[in-house]
Amino acid sequence: MAKRKSDVPVPAEESDLLVIRPLGAGQEVGRSCIMLEFKGKKIMLDCGIHPGLSGMDALPFVDLIEADQIDLLLISHFHLDHCGALPWFLQKTTFKGRCFMTHATKAIYRWLLSDYIKVSNISTDQMLYTEADLEASMEKIEVINFHEEKDVGGVRFWAYNAGHVLGAAMFMIEIAGVKVLYTGDFSRQEDRHLMAAEIPTVRPDILITESTYGTHIHEKREDRESRFTGLIHEIVNRGGRCLIPVFALGRAQELLLILDEYWSLHPELHEIPIYYASSLAQKCMAVYQTYINAMNDKIRRQIAINNPFIFKHISSLKGIDQFEDVGPCVIMASPGMMQSGLSRELFEAWCTDPKNGCIIAGYCVEGTLAKHVLSEPEDITSMAGQKLPMKLSVDYISFSAHTDYQQTSEFIRLLKPPHVVLVHGEANEMNRLKAALIREYEHDPDTQIRIYNPRNTAAVELHFKGEKTAKVMGSLAFEKPVEGQIISGVLVKRNFKYQIVAPSDISKYTDMTVSSVTQRMGIHYSGNLQTLQAVLSHVSPDVEVVDSDKGLKTFRLFSAIDVIVDKTLVTLEWAADSVNDMFADAVLSAILKCESLQGSRTVVLPTTVDHIRFKECLIEMLQDMFGDDAVPKVFKGDKFVVTVDGKRANIDLTALEVECNEDVGFQQVVQTAVLKLYQSLAPKAEKV
Amino acid sequence: MTSIIKFCALSGALDDSPHSYLLKVDDFTFLLDCGWDEKCSEGFIHELKKHVNKIDAVLLSYPDQLHLGALPYAVGKLGLTCPVYATVPVYKMGQMFMYDWYQSRDNMEDFDLFNLDDVDNSFDKVVQLKYSQSVPLKGKGQGLIITPLPAGHMLGGTVWKIVKDGEEDIIYAVDYNHKKERHLNGCELEKIQRPSLLITDAYNTLYAQPRRRSRDEKLMTNILQTMRGGGNVLVAVDTAGRVLELAHMLEQLWRNQESGLRAYSLALLNNVAYNVNEFAKSQIEWMSDKLMKSFEGARNNPFGFKYLQLCHTLPEVLRIAGSKVVLSSCPDLECGFARDLFALWCSDARNSVILTSRSGQGTLGQRLHDQRNLKSVTLELKQRVKLEGAELEDYRRREREKNILSGVNKIKDQTAAESSESEDDVKKARHDIVVRTDDKTSGAVQHFFKSSKKHPTMFPYFEDKIKFDEYGEIIRPEDYVIAESEDHEMADYSMEKPKWEEEPEAECPTKCISTTTTLAINASIMHIDFEGRSDGESIIKLIESMKPKRTIVVRGSPESCQALQNLCLSTGSSDNKAFIARKGETIDATIESHIYQVRLKDSLLSSLSFGKARDAEVAWIDARLTYQAEDLRDLDDKENISLRKEQAPLLEPLEPKDIPGHETSYINELKLSDFKQVLVRNGISSEFIGGVLWCCNGNVALRRNESGRVTLEGCISDDYYRVRELLYEQYAII
Repeated sequence: MAKRKSDVPVPAEESDLLVIRPLGAGQEVGRSCIMLEFKGKKIMLDCGIHPGLSGMDALPFVDLIEADQIDLLLISHFHLDHCGALPWFLQKTTFKGRCFMTHATKAIYRWLLSDYIKVSNISTDQMLYTEADLEASMEKIEVINFHEEKDVGGVRFWAYNAGHVLGAAMFMIEIAGVKVLYTGDFSRQEDRHLMAAEIPTVRPDILITESTYGTHIHEKREDRESRFTGLIHEIVNRGGRCLIPVFALGRAQELLLILDEYWSLHPELHEIPIYYASSLAQKCMAVYQTYINAMNDKIRRQIAINNPFIFKHISSLKGIDQFEDVGPCVIMASPGMMQSGLSRELFEAWCTDPKNGCIIAGYCVEGTLAKHVLSEPEDITSMAGQKLPMKLSVDYISFSAHTDYQQTSEFIRLLKPPHVVLVHGEANEMNRLKAALIREYEHDPDTQIRIYNPRNTAAVELHFKGEKTAKVMGSLAFEKPVEGQIISGVLVKRNFKYQIVAPSDISKYTDMTVSSVTQRMGIHYSGNLQTLQAVLSHVSPDVEVVDSDKGLKTFRLFSAIDVIVDKTLVTLEWAADSVNDMFADAVLSAILKCESLQGSRTVVLPTTVDHIRFKECLIEMLQDMFGDDAVPKVFKGDKFVVTVDGKRANIDLTALEVECNEDVGFQQVVQTAVLKLYQSLAPKAEKV
Repeated sequence: MTSIIKFCALSGALDDSPHSYLLKVDDFTFLLDCGWDEKCSEGFIHELKKHVNKIDAVLLSYPDQLHLGALPYAVGKLGLTCPVYATVPVYKMGQMFMYDWYQSRDNMEDFDLFNLDDVDNSFDKVVQLKYSQSVPLKGKGQGLIITPLPAGHMLGGTVWKIVKDGEEDIIYAVDYNHKKERHLNGCELEKIQRPSLLITDAYNTLYAQPRRRSRDEKLMTNILQTMRGGGNVLVAVDTAGRVLELAHMLEQLWRNQESGLRAYSLALLNNVAYNVNEFAKSQIEWMSDKLMKSFEGARNNPFGFKYLQLCHTLPEVLRIAGSKVVLSSCPDLECGFARDLFALWCSDARNSVILTSRSGQGTLGQRLHDQRNLKSVTLELKQRVKLEGAELEDYRRREREKNILSGVNKIKDQTAAESSESEDDVKKARHDIVVRTDDKTSGAVQHFFKSSKKHPTMFPYFEDKIKFDEYGEIIRPEDYVIAESEDHEMADYSMEKPKWEEEPEAECPTKCISTTTTLAINASIMHIDFEGRSDGESIIKLIESMKPKRTIVVRGSPESCQALQNLCLSTGSSDNKAFIARKGETIDATIESHIYQVRLKDSLLSSLSFGKARDAEVAWIDARLTYQAEDLRDLDDKENISLRKEQAPLLEPLEPKDIPGHETSYINELKLSDFKQVLVRNGISSEFIGGVLWCCNGNVALRRNESGRVTLEGCISDDYYRVRELLYEQYAII
């Protein structure tokens, strides 16, 4: 609710404050979760877990927000650090907004998380969610195609291809004209099966971008591929086993395409088996074969001839027990950071032999074994707790499809967003990137780019003074607008858009309708008609006698309220409206009063004003007002004088005018009194 | 701000000719669909030719001939150069339709209205879109935004929304289907409210179809009966549109063990069956929620067929032993394998032919549909055959002479030829759609990885185990069959091979022959509607809820056009207009609109009290218009003055004394049934008697008349005021 901080409390809806707050992935990598708040709309971007932590610790800081207030949740891609906490968030919190991801992401999400549940070796009470929760969460996830525009309560958003992995999306979100682009993880380099991230055609006001690689610049694609294949060739040639820990889906498919091609070009290697130990990848084969529309043009063309995802030299390995460890081989195994599972087991089994080799091909998060072995330690601690000497060769070739400095800088240069918020990067990398970007635009007076790198839970507050414009439509706009013109109409506000229309045009320009309500109220009345008419004529300035169709006596009062008399029943009929309701109440009380008057004396309808009586009354009234001395007791003719404090006011009874040259205020007081008295005595028909 | 909107039907006016209309919004001309009838009639082409230079963009709604058939001709022969907008499936399947159509025609006659290069060139112009993707147009079309919306009927089917300056919305919706089907979601027309202009067809306005269940049952029983009687079923369908629905449905039938159909065969026969199937497999995201869910859940691709065999030639189908159901194109039986099969099968009483859609005037399909008891039919059967004997010799000789003649010329401009040749190569390479006539894997589940089974390192030799029974070695009869028809079939193959495989024509000289035969029709002929269009009743409901301000009625019989026009005039407000399109006549559907922009001052906004009505908020506003923006008032340089003029006027609040009164408006529409719920929640009893809601034991009555006017009636009592208060709460009263 609105805080009493400023002098006028501004409802969130009208406020021009836009808040971006990372609940995860703020100066860290993992558990991406960014809150975007603007105009009372709350949007969560991604909902991941930290791969280096487990249980509740791995969650982003969602305890800082109210889950039930979130309108929209967008998931950029299927990696655990972007969607790992989603089943928990959808099933175990009060979240009741809508959740969107792309088709491919949703299809893989189902199997990836199911695999995650199986491999995470923690006790069940620490588990964030179960297979059943995951299954149930599928129901709540809606799909969005790339470029398809959706509108959820005035928040408009659509997705662009992000490269990175199959189905990865960048979301453009527009609230009340302010556009925010969230890149998720993206890559601007086309590879064997994915396209480069698209450049949005509209310019965002805020860019929330990943900064995983900070100011690094990636090796050229050809170089790193030849280094990769060369290394593998060398390891298997020396009789070693080659372990490539990979994330089951995503980059693995790219590596498989590279290896399959290399093997088919080198017949001498055909003896050496390549295994891909991932039942998950096997499961998701169908997804890769189906959602080719999310891949690059090359694959899309090839699919008409054959399927590139059918490999000739790579066999699938179900588990370690099926594997005969007899000689040189290449194994790709998940998980990619060797936290546990098959890649960990194999690493521990092979790390003591210097002939063996391990190639780390993706990004590693702090606190994982993969990150640890990169520092080339003497020994490692096995899962069982014993110390193992580490003798195998460890190499690092980055295949992760994250943007590097070159790509990020180019991306920003093309979009020129006024604000850039960095997320998803280690603090140091992020600072370096920030500094580098600031340097880049230091001497450029035309481009003002502000860069933020918030910590987790720290909010970036930006002000967007959106000018509110409305469209004047229909009969109100028949004429061109001119200075000083007064516009009266209905302002319709929907999804941060305003329209002004005449009430009669509402149904024409909106899907709303203007209704009318007629009220008909019956009252028992046993008195005679004359009395009623007399009383009514006192209530209303004019009483019109209308011919009713049934031959019933009908009076119309205030030109709005019909009083229909049918023997002992009086019916009031009027079109409801705040003014008419008030009139109706007045008429009603008059009728009720009229009934109680019955029998006391017959009220005769005065037809003319009794001048004598008017005079008497006037004298009496003025005496009440100004004291007995101010008014002469008797007078003749139609003029008389009131004297108060030496001021004289002349009253002309025929014209009902008051004259007083000394004091205008006094004149007005007397004038009003005279007029009011006359009106109360005279029937309206005899207006002067 | 009023946009001039003009509309002219090139075809599809007051009859059932294909869709093709010109829509001009200010200076920008759209061609809405570009269909061609089954016979490729010239008349329409003349019309199109007159306007082809003026067209700035083409919008396609469905991938079939009816909606894009003339596009290759328009691009190839008439020189249409503008961009074409279509959804991804319309682009992919549209190519399939055109390839199949061309091939079917070419298989029986020298077809030269367009060739496969024209098809490719025309589809190169397509800008592929997703549903709900807004495309702002540039240049002349500045201010126009086009958006494709789901329409059902066929994969990727589109209802087009054209918006001018964010205000005038024009909806082009033809042949839509509001119902969910097996593989498609229905259209979302009910979400569209009060469009400025609706262009829609009257084809089905007066058409009622049996329920889906009964149609499915009819198909099922017909198939079962024919199968059991030892006959074959020909289902005439289109190439890549409605066929998906039928193929999916029949595959499900076959998968159902209890259906008893497993003993029989099911085949899909057209020139592009493999590609249609592959494209369908990769477009799950465009299909129904149910299919998508089942794919996400079980990873079963709904178009990974187990029982449906894909065939690309007639002999392939005929080789299938036993009774079979064949889905084949074209639905009108004018060309394609469906016609061949019809000629082959119609005289056998055991067979049956199922027509799944109505087709155009003068087609065989239409004749069969209209004359239920047709006993015989005279057909002109055309065929392309290989040249033989003397003819072949003659052809070769002529060819040689030509070569000698042209040889001289060739040397002359060899350099030019070379460069153009290389260009040609590039073009040829684009025909990457390869029909795999012998594809056997498509039905089976493909393996991601190579088999992990290890083979012994030796020359592959497979020893056949010799089986014995009590009479000795078992004789396999196949081993002793004399290869008789093989040669003949091979010839058929090369003949049937699609052109885009760049089969040099000279190698296999052919000619077209035509024979006129009278065929007795003994097979049962049945029409079961699988068109997938909304029925008349639903169309009426949809339009009634949409309440278009202007309507243009296209395509349909004169009576149904009239009926739709009357409907559009009667719904919504009185200034509605509805036109019936007539061929070649221009309709002026301009809508006078008065709009200007104003800026709202914050102090004005904060002074308003909003009431809720539906999803919007409303408030009464009294304000003064001014051009003197505060922030600019004290600056007097010329720049600012000009700036001031460009800026929209500002609305500022009035002094309290200047506020004029206004009449109260009750915004919202009350449904008595909803109000009953409200009463219940507030502990007031009520019941409906004869359309009147009686509350509080009959003390207060609520009526609602046709025009939406609500009458509250009752004796003076507390109840009266309580009900009135609740009633007022239902409205945004301003």
